[in-house]
Amino acid sequence: MSGEPFVACRSLGWETRGRRIVGPVDLAVDAGECVAVVGPNGAGKTTLLRLVTGLLAPTAGELRLHGRPYAGLSRRELARAIAYVPQIRPARVPLTVEEVVLLGRHPHLGRLQLAPRPADYAAVGEALARVGIEALRGRPVDELSGGERQSVYIAAALAQEAPLLVLDEPTTHLDPRHQAEVASLLARIARSGHRTVLAATHDLAFAAVVAERVVALADGRVAADGPPSEILRPELLGELFGARFELAGGGARPVPVLRIEGGP
Amino acid sequence: MSMAAERTGGRRPGRHRAAALALLAVAWLAVLLLAPLAGSQPVSLADVAAGDPVAEAIFWRLRLPRVLLALAAGGALAVAGVAFQTLFRNPLAEPYTLGVATGASLGAVLALRFADPATVAGFAGVAAASFAGALAATALVVGLAVSRRGVETGTLLLAGVAVALSSSALILFVQYLSDATQTFRMVRWMMGGLAVVGYRDVAWAVPWAIGGSAVLLASRWELNQLLTGEELAASRGVDVSRLRLRVLAATSLMVGALVAVTGPIGFVGLIVPHALRRWVGHDHLFLAPAALLAGGAFLTLCDLAARTVAAPAQLPVGVLTALLGGPFFLWLLFAGRR
Repeated sequence: MSGEPFVACRSLGWETRGRRIVGPVDLAVDAGECVAVVGPNGAGKTTLLRLVTGLLAPTAGELRLHGRPYAGLSRRELARAIAYVPQIRPARVPLTVEEVVLLGRHPHLGRLQLAPRPADYAAVGEALARVGIEALRGRPVDELSGGERQSVYIAAALAQEAPLLVLDEPTTHLDPRHQAEVASLLARIARSGHRTVLAATHDLAFAAVVAERVVALADGRVAADGPPSEILRPELLGELFGARFELAGGGARPVPVLRIEGGP
Repeated sequence: MSMAAERTGGRRPGRHRAAALALLAVAWLAVLLLAPLAGSQPVSLADVAAGDPVAEAIFWRLRLPRVLLALAAGGALAVAGVAFQTLFRNPLAEPYTLGVATGASLGAVLALRFADPATVAGFAGVAAASFAGALAATALVVGLAVSRRGVETGTLLLAGVAVALSSSALILFVQYLSDATQTFRMVRWMMGGLAVVGYRDVAWAVPWAIGGSAVLLASRWELNQLLTGEELAASRGVDVSRLRLRVLAATSLMVGALVAVTGPIGFVGLIVPHALRRWVGHDHLFLAPAALLAGGAFLTLCDLAARTVAAPAQLPVGVLTALLGGPFFLWLLFAGRR
């Protein structure tokens, strides 16, 4: 088992109405890695994540989890290995923080089980503590700020106790403080060694500082793949996004910043 | 620390909900025992036990089956309301959203117009036709909404509206072709009522109500998952398309079977789940049994009011629930907005 990557895509492709959205993609994510997927809108980032989580069935190629093809795995088995934090969620959720996080326990509940077990509550408590939102436990999620809500869904994914965490734009639409908080939370989770993280993001600071590996996606294919210092270069990003960048911050992990023409 | 522990007591909401459920069960039993005694001609349990022939006839023959049918029908409508609102993520969804009621009405209207009045008098013909109508409407709606990617919610709702509108038009057409007596019976049937019931109706209704509720209860984890959206539900291992099909089939069969004997009774499936969600929360483990109990008790009390307010005349209970339901629903809607 140890020789196999956690998730492997082999000439993976997905198309709809004759239009190819993703592929062919060959990509392997090893256990413990923290991978950021970057690329312009429409590059297929979300589709790639939904393929990896098993929400979409590929129209070409295949996916393997520890060397076992997805086709041979039940949804429940996949859910125990991979937790997903989607970008788009219902606007109104009539639940408290604890109830939302408890929903993450679904792959561990039995059909005949009447109520969640103490182990489920323990996992919920641990997830809330790791995310640092124990104080919000009894609050309705609809009353929380966008950043807090994002933390709640990350906690739910942690309570799922799946080794691979897949996140779609975890820091988008958050103000700078919450961006920093969610990013450093994900950095802690990634460095803890218990989780593999795969996140699609437009947040290049997140990709530069938190990720250990950056996959650049263009037109549904992998355009570049390597450590942040290699991928997040102004030339490469300029070509990828069709915009101009410069590096800021210096040091071991400089952050690419968008250059805007027409300023003073 | 102690404050935090109090606030974070994970099991407290569960205990509150179990207590609410126990309270509902007691109320339900009280309604079952007391509702058959009340009415235009009050009856005492002592007279029934003593073998008074009039009291016995009223209690056992007239009122008890009616109360039992009301308990089953109200419970089924409320349970179906819970299921529809969760499945469609829409607080305005109700058991009739997919055209079950209009399909049933069309079946009943056709039977009242074209079937031999001799068999129709026994009402079995009308019930069978309306059950068939309910099933046909549901099958049509679901069939229209099934696509390569499963059953889609938006398409289901639109198909439901389209089928309901077409059925209503056909009902008007059949009514136009009918004579005054037939039209009168059709209108009365569509008001929904529990007036002519015997134990045969009860024996037909109860298994459907219990069966449909059992399917909902067995799907409780998956239905809970839908509260944070289908994408998350699917990522945690829920087969959303199959869940939708299973719950829709079970609830539509249940509601169709009940509407066949009671006629369409509106608003129970809207009011009761709304009130319950505020009280016992959104966990279907509690919500499904609570709806079965509260919906049954609510409809029985409505029916009790309907057969007493204008006594000796008996108002069809569907008229009363509609009269109560509109304003109450508006109140819930706007109270929730504030």
